[in-house]
Amino acid sequence: MNNSLTHVMLCSVCTAPVCTNAQVGCHAVSLNNLFDRIIQHSAKMHRVSNDLHQQFELHVLPSRNQVGRGGHICHTSTIMTPNGKENAQRMAREGLTQVILQLLMAWTDPLMNLHHSSTNVSVDMSSMVGELRRGVQRLAEKMHTLGLLTDPDSSVVSPEALMTSHPVPWRLMNLYDILYCFRRDSNKVHNYLRILKCRIVPEHGC
Amino acid sequence: MFTVDQNKLLSCNFNLLHLHFRIDLLNAHSAPLFVCCISDLYLLVFSPPAPLEPHFTDCVSREQETFRCWWSPGIFQNLSSPGDLRVFYLKKESLSSEWKECPEYIHSNRECFFDRNHTAIWITYCMQLRSQNTRYINEDDCFTVENIVRPDPPVSLNWTLLNVSPSGLSYDVVVIWTPPPSADVRVGWMRIEYEVQYREINTTNWEALEVQPYTKQTIYGLHVGKEYEVHIRCKMQGFSKYGDFSDSIFIQVTDIVTEEPLMFILVLVLGIVGVLILIMLIAITQQHRLMMILLPPVPAPKIKGIDSELLKKGKLDDLNFFLNGGGFGGLPPYAPEFYHDEPWVEFIEVEAEDRDGGGKDDSLTSDTQMLLGLTQTGCHHINLGCSNALGFPNNNLGQTSCYDPAVLEANSLMLMGSLLPGQPEEEEEEEKEAASFNDIKRCPTSAESDENKHNPVQPTWINTDFYAQVSNVMPSGGVVLSPGQHVRTQESSSTTEEETRKKENIIETEEKKQTKLLVVNPEGNGYTVENIRSPPPSTSVSPTEYQTVEPSPMSRSHGNQSANIVPDPPRCQIFTPVADYTVVQELDSHRSLILQPPPPPPPPQQSLPSCVPLKVPIGYITPDLLGSLSP
Repeated sequence: MNNSLTHVMLCSVCTAPVCTNAQVGCHAVSLNNLFDRIIQHSAKMHRVSNDLHQQFELHVLPSRNQVGRGGHICHTSTIMTPNGKENAQRMAREGLTQVILQLLMAWTDPLMNLHHSSTNVSVDMSSMVGELRRGVQRLAEKMHTLGLLTDPDSSVVSPEALMTSHPVPWRLMNLYDILYCFRRDSNKVHNYLRILKCRIVPEHGC
Repeated sequence: MFTVDQNKLLSCNFNLLHLHFRIDLLNAHSAPLFVCCISDLYLLVFSPPAPLEPHFTDCVSREQETFRCWWSPGIFQNLSSPGDLRVFYLKKESLSSEWKECPEYIHSNRECFFDRNHTAIWITYCMQLRSQNTRYINEDDCFTVENIVRPDPPVSLNWTLLNVSPSGLSYDVVVIWTPPPSADVRVGWMRIEYEVQYREINTTNWEALEVQPYTKQTIYGLHVGKEYEVHIRCKMQGFSKYGDFSDSIFIQVTDIVTEEPLMFILVLVLGIVGVLILIMLIAITQQHRLMMILLPPVPAPKIKGIDSELLKKGKLDDLNFFLNGGGFGGLPPYAPEFYHDEPWVEFIEVEAEDRDGGGKDDSLTSDTQMLLGLTQTGCHHINLGCSNALGFPNNNLGQTSCYDPAVLEANSLMLMGSLLPGQPEEEEEEEKEAASFNDIKRCPTSAESDENKHNPVQPTWINTDFYAQVSNVMPSGGVVLSPGQHVRTQESSSTTEEETRKKENIIETEEKKQTKLLVVNPEGNGYTVENIRSPPPSTSVSPTEYQTVEPSPMSRSHGNQSANIVPDPPRCQIFTPVADYTVVQELDSHRSLILQPPPPPPPPQQSLPSCVPLKVPIGYITPDLLGSLSP
């Protein structure tokens, strides 16, 4: 399913002729449809991260309850992310998109080695994150072409430029923290994507 | 085994050598424990006991935008008054964060409320209780807001009947609701999943359906007549904390009026349609037979022994031959063959004793001649108005005036016989009435027949008994008939010759009184109407008669015969063959018919010069006229 989603997300553009500004006769995926696919993928990623974390807690660290979370320092803590609904809604679309991309970029590498760990991880989280990242990149480009990103200065730059120095390199994080932080960040991405869709694609209730 | 009930109390029940321990652990939420019960042995792993010091009992967020925490003073009741304990929290946003006091206290509930401004998602909060000089910190009291979200229960629960089983004993319902109003699902800030639970009233076990994110759920297999209770609770997608249950709704379906009446009506309609189609098919296939039953064919008039086709073709010879071939008792056998399917045809038994073909081979003669028996050879058994009888019933004296069977021939007899309403049982009466036409009598005995044979019956006017043609209608109302009628009437009176003569006289007198009388030539010259006013000279001899007489020369020759027709003996006795009918030429001024002159009389007959042969119209009488001629 991951591959299919990636295929859909990628080949929706590669197989079709290059469309600019939704030209007539151009077989392009609509923005709404693209948003739906991305949000579906993000929901799946969050669900998987949650399952991973729960399994880890039950088998490895049963002494902890769900409320009592120790202060986990994630390597993505330096990324300035809106911490509430109002903050996310007030944020510019370009900024929000950029945050999403930053998060996704930050989690591509740490998850790459996840399957090598002792944990019984059956799902390739890294590829999932990579697919979602590429999808969001495509979304950003599409929004840019459509003129939805009004701020020309804050164009989507290369992901590498977005990388900032992390206070804690992810290699030093234990598995539990990685799972915890990944779960949190996937939830962030999912919420940000939903708010972004509500702001860009006019919908009932937004 | 250990269970956690709704009050979040962990209880463990185990048996040990007749001892029953029950441990209720307070605050299981913050102090999980692991209990392993192995059969009757006990192995308890007690977690740290519930904190007796002030501690937080719970922190909950309803919509992922605010949250609140409740604390408890614990055993230290001296700190239970408000203000003794203060809540501090730490937001671990950065490395340099500090403890802050609760932004909003609700002392009545020992609750600390964090509003939107103070609520940050995905950030770790740590809670702390501080008394005047002591800090009660529990490291486990750190959380992130998204993990403590317990959504509000849904609202506006409703249910509709989906369908009913064919047996009418179970049904399915669809329960619908709306998301909790506090949760912002439109924007997508919260993705809520619902769990529907239902149970039968007054039972303890709830049936939980699968968690799903849609706002409707189908419940299958509910029983008619039972009342069910349904409630729903929510949780965040990807998270595990459930909110409170909604208010229950009650579902009950009683006495389902299924489509049974509709089914009955449908079956009834189909049955009626099928029966109608069947009847139509039967009617169409058996149309011919039904038509025969419902509308039987109208029988056409037929004559026993006479083929209508032969008559149409005019092959009288064949017909005669055929009938004569029947001969003695031949007709009766014929009749059944021909008219076996027409029982209404009455057959007149005709016994032809004389089988002379004298009358048969005379094809040149007219029908009348044959009927009249001009070539008489014998008496026919049929006493149809035998003139010899002179109206006497059964008086077959073998007079010569009897019919010649050969001449008569069964066809004509039968024709007359069948045309008349046969009343064989009333022979005597009809005979008296000269209903010779209706009589079916035996012909005179052999002796009589022999007499008849010896005395060939002159078929003069006697033949006219079969039928009589109305030659003219008198203004007075009288009818001038053919000689046959005259004979018949005379016979019916059953009078002797004198009587007939009296009649003649009467007729003469009557004629004298009236000028418009049909002139009849009783002398057998037939009748003709040329001029009513002036009776023809020939007719002066026979002045009066209404009736046309068909005198035959033969009969005339035998004046001692009935002579009914001959009022005046000295009259010309030349009898010309009487025609059965004549053609009306015209109507004169007196509304009398002018008939066509009859054919010339046969040569062998003597003809007095003074006698002008009367023209005898050749014709026949129709059955209705015949019936009217009866006295």
